[in-house]
Amino acid sequence: MDETGTSVAFRGGGFAPKSRRWVGVVVFVALVLFVEWGTRAGWISSLSLPRPSDVFETFRQLYDSGLLFKHLGPSLSRLTVGAILGASVGISVGILIGLFSYVRSGLVPLVAAIFPIPKIALLPLFVIWFGIGEGSKYALIAFGTFTPTVVATYGAVDNVDRTLIRMGQSFGLSWWSIVRKIVLPGAMPGILSGLRISLAIAIILLVAAEMLGAEYGIGAYILEAGSLYDLERLFAGVVILSLLGVLVSGVIGMAERRLLGWRT
Amino acid sequence: MLAPLISCKRSMMDIRLDGIGHSYDDFEVMRDISLDISSGQIVCIVGPSGCGKSTLLRFIGGLERPKLGRVLQLGEPPAGCLNPLTYIFQDFALLPWRSVSGNISLVLEDHGIKGAAADKIIEDVLARTKLSDFAKALPKQLSGGMKQRVAIARALAVKPAVMLMDEPLSALDSQTRELLMDDLVELWTRQPFTAVYVTHNLAEAVRLGHRVVVLSRRPGKIREVVDIDKPLAAREFGDADLEKTQKYLWQLMRDEARAADAELLHG
Amino acid sequence: MTLINRRKALALMGGTVAASGLAAPALAANKKIKVGALRFTSHSGNFVGFERGYFADAGLDVEFEFFQAAQPMAVAIASGDVDYAVTAVSGGLINLAEKGAIKVIGGALSEEAGIDGQKYLISDASYQAGIKTLKDLDGKKYAITQAGSSFHYMGSKMAAAEGIELSFTPLQKVGAIIGAMKSGQVDGWSIVPHIAKPLASAGAWHMIANVSDYIPDYQVTTVFTSAKNAADERGMTESFLNGFSKGVDDYAAAMIDGTADQDEMVDLIHKYVYTDRERAKAAPSIINGTMRINKGAALNIASIKDQLSWFQSEGLVDAGISIDQLVDTSYVDIIGA
Ligand SMILES: Nc1ncnc2c1ncn2[C@@H]1O[C@H](COP(=O)(O)OP(=O)(O)OP(=O)(O)O)[C@@H](O)[C@H]1O
Ligand SMILES: [Mg+2]
Repeated sequence: MDETGTSVAFRGGGFAPKSRRWVGVVVFVALVLFVEWGTRAGWISSLSLPRPSDVFETFRQLYDSGLLFKHLGPSLSRLTVGAILGASVGISVGILIGLFSYVRSGLVPLVAAIFPIPKIALLPLFVIWFGIGEGSKYALIAFGTFTPTVVATYGAVDNVDRTLIRMGQSFGLSWWSIVRKIVLPGAMPGILSGLRISLAIAIILLVAAEMLGAEYGIGAYILEAGSLYDLERLFAGVVILSLLGVLVSGVIGMAERRLLGWRT
Repeated sequence: MLAPLISCKRSMMDIRLDGIGHSYDDFEVMRDISLDISSGQIVCIVGPSGCGKSTLLRFIGGLERPKLGRVLQLGEPPAGCLNPLTYIFQDFALLPWRSVSGNISLVLEDHGIKGAAADKIIEDVLARTKLSDFAKALPKQLSGGMKQRVAIARALAVKPAVMLMDEPLSALDSQTRELLMDDLVELWTRQPFTAVYVTHNLAEAVRLGHRVVVLSRRPGKIREVVDIDKPLAAREFGDADLEKTQKYLWQLMRDEARAADAELLHG
Repeated sequence: MTLINRRKALALMGGTVAASGLAAPALAANKKIKVGALRFTSHSGNFVGFERGYFADAGLDVEFEFFQAAQPMAVAIASGDVDYAVTAVSGGLINLAEKGAIKVIGGALSEEAGIDGQKYLISDASYQAGIKTLKDLDGKKYAITQAGSSFHYMGSKMAAAEGIELSFTPLQKVGAIIGAMKSGQVDGWSIVPHIAKPLASAGAWHMIANVSDYIPDYQVTTVFTSAKNAADERGMTESFLNGFSKGVDDYAAAMIDGTADQDEMVDLIHKYVYTDRERAKAAPSIINGTMRINKGAALNIASIKDQLSWFQSEGLVDAGISIDQLVDTSYVDIIGA
């Protein structure tokens, strides 16, 4: 055999992105520094973007004055109540759709019809139905999280391995046991990834919800900053929403690790 | 390892298939199948692909109703028997979110067996399937052979009168299959159980079956019933007389299988 | 935002090009400008100026850019996408002026005694519950679109005069406020007469007082442009104000002073406002919506100063902003000084 043969050219590899935590941070910091430089040097006008250091300063003042929590408190309670309402009703309805032919035939077209309605368009209606107090805010967020949760949930129930259900039946498990012990856990991955989207929508809708007569709240704060064209406050508010989004996503990630450890 | 008594032992429950025929819409799947399955016997069903073996098993297990004929239970399942007709599935059908012992307790919970009583049964069936060390493991941590042993343990836990097995070994590699066949033989020898065992694999059929039922291609009819008298414990891998029976079965099946294959190809 | 039919605009221009060439020889003929507008009667000066060729006469080829709300219009001026527009003084407008982006150059809508103006309202539910006067609104919910809007200013001035406290409730959209008033979710509000009157007759609310009683000589809306146009495009800006003023004169003559044909003017305005309603239904709203638009786009500086200082006192805009940063007084008659 020829000992001097060329080695086979490597052509595998790639197409397998791994997460490199620090790269994200570097990109973010670089972007902020770039904008800071641009706004200081003047080639980004104060009309186009606020200076990051000013945004930070605004944020600090917000924190020092205690206003941050005055805005955050009501927003968090609206998010929590609205999202819990919307998600729990959504999951229940989604499961019913996944299990019963009549419920499915009756509700799937209805859900499809209300899904694309921009909930903001119903603002005046919500005021009349639920008042301008907390009720309409809960309702708007609940309504907005409800539809994506329903769709994700019944999709997840549909995807539960049928042989597992047959297995349950073949061992004479009761209907309720099959739902509780096989359908629900089996649908959990789909439900959780649906929740990821629903909860992001809940945060988006927070701003819309706080259009409805909210004096305090992150959404109200952002809306006011927008109408006053106060970019520093606008960005400070937006950053808070982003952080909320990261937080929610982290919580769901934790839930996934806890609840879905069985996945291969 | 001494197996504790289970109350279904020497079950007096036989199964009789009486003129079973079935069609999906205009599509006839099987015709006039009559068969007795007596207790303590393993009946293997072989036949070409699509001849209705799985469907027949679903009829026996009560998961589906045949259009013609009846499935009869002769005699009562012995006392203490939780689920007289119990399946073992080709793809194991373990709940991936439950541990090995959780998967077994699943089928006990609905019968109100919990706590210490359940633990005792679980311990027993795990010992009989040599899984005692894996009670806490999740299915994803187990090999295919172990998963099927868990499924067998789960089936044993409900003390079945008849076990219905649909190609239980076909998802496994051939070595694991051999080992599991040994395990099944051992289980049966220690405590004879009744089973209907569907397979494609004639080696399995001659190794495990007291009777082998050969079905014709669709619509499935009984082509021949071959009794194998040699005791299970005495059968071994590569036995000459078993090879002969296997060859005979293959001859019975070959033309049917070929025809069935061509049928499938032509849709 | 819809653009006006270009073919129509060109045809109109073609007819007047020769004349304008003679009438305004000092100006560049057919300079293209964009004018921002809302489909409100208060923007009639622009509509008449365009339809009657006054802008063309002044050498301007005007293209309208329609908006749904005043706020994006102000931002469009700041970004240079739109050249001129008419809007109320708001916190946003002042903040954009502070950033050196825009300037107020003239006045438009004014509250004038004797002409029906904006009304303070009390919702029917609250009225039935015993809130009969503006003073009774103490501690009650008063609807505004947003903090720093003209509604906020009007409510606040009234509250100061009555010596009461209002709970200002931002509802963003006029539609949402009307819903909230009808269902009694909020107690008080102020709005232009052509919205106030029909719903008052329908029993949704009660008109309690005129805004002009509390804010005399209120300069409700102003003409504004980018700071760059105000400083560097003097000729163009003067031409615009010229055409706009002529439009305003025609509007006032027909709708307020009665010296010209009102029907014809309603027809003209109906091309832009309430276009989705038939003329017979649109006409009363257009006529009810009539308010004084200042002659020659004169600007009531006293009112603007008052508004600026109110915004500052509320902390909605920086306390350091001077009236000169907001207003360029060199274009029109300054009144109330
Ligand atoms: N629910 C159903 N509806 C319609 N046709 C069906 C249904 N279930 C099975 N069949 C058809 O009935 C025939 C018998 O199916 P069955 O699964 O019982 O065959 P099988 O002998 O188990 O085949 P294999 O050896 O491939 O497992 C097949 O042709 C199949 O396509
Ligand atoms: Mg099969």
